[in-house]
Amino acid sequence: MNLSLDLILFLIFSVISISSAIFIVSSKNVFYSAITLAFLGISIAVLITLIAPASYGIYSAFHLLLYVGATVVFLSVSLVMFKGLSVRQINIPWASFVAIIATGAIFTVVVLSLTTIQVSVPKPLDLQQLAETILSEYWFPAIVLVIGLLTTLIEAITLSRRD
Amino acid sequence: MILGEFGISLSIILIGIGIYGLLNSRNIIRILLSSEIILNSAILFVFSLSDLLGLVYQPVIFSIFAIGMALIEVVVAFASIILYYRNNGSLEVK
Repeated sequence: MNLSLDLILFLIFSVISISSAIFIVSSKNVFYSAITLAFLGISIAVLITLIAPASYGIYSAFHLLLYVGATVVFLSVSLVMFKGLSVRQINIPWASFVAIIATGAIFTVVVLSLTTIQVSVPKPLDLQQLAETILSEYWFPAIVLVIGLLTTLIEAITLSRRD
Repeated sequence: MILGEFGISLSIILIGIGIYGLLNSRNIIRILLSSEIILNSAILFVFSLSDLLGLVYQPVIFSIFAIGMALIEVVVAFASIILYYRNNGSLEVK
């Protein structure tokens, strides 16, 4: 895949992600917003793959499985339990102003920080080394994550019960 | 390299949209969804910056932990939302 095709795909999925994000914050029904979050998650996964396919492709699979496949589906299905999912629109005049100021400030800080970094190309990811690194250096956060996911499972079962 | 720089710009735009959604909503689920936009943009930012810095394992490991924690956070937040709905009969934040 040459750079121009990568760039075109990147731009297409950038447009999809921005439009999904705008729909999520402006839709009158939060159920549709939750469904659109799946499109945002998919487009983010594709964008991460496009940045460095050999290095970050494995994370995109995790993003699709864990985020889109579990989080967004859980959120969307659970929203069916509520009545009156339509949102009363409020217009806070200073919200867009604050958002623009915050975006500009973050952009300025990032651009100023990027001028001092040394740019280098990432190497391809070795899956075995990734597993060894997690098990040797990051075993404690991995255990915490596993316990957290188990408690989430128990919580989901509790939520699904009526009493 | 170019895609990494584009990714950083895109993630900052998405953070701006997420901040707008957080500020411009009283619905508790919309606030949760806006925070999810910010989470997605933060992950994209991490990978774009790591592409520029040449990092491989650190962003993947930290993002796997972050996305797992996001799943836990959504379920816990949703349990709180259900309790809020049972007590108030509405999803609007006062």
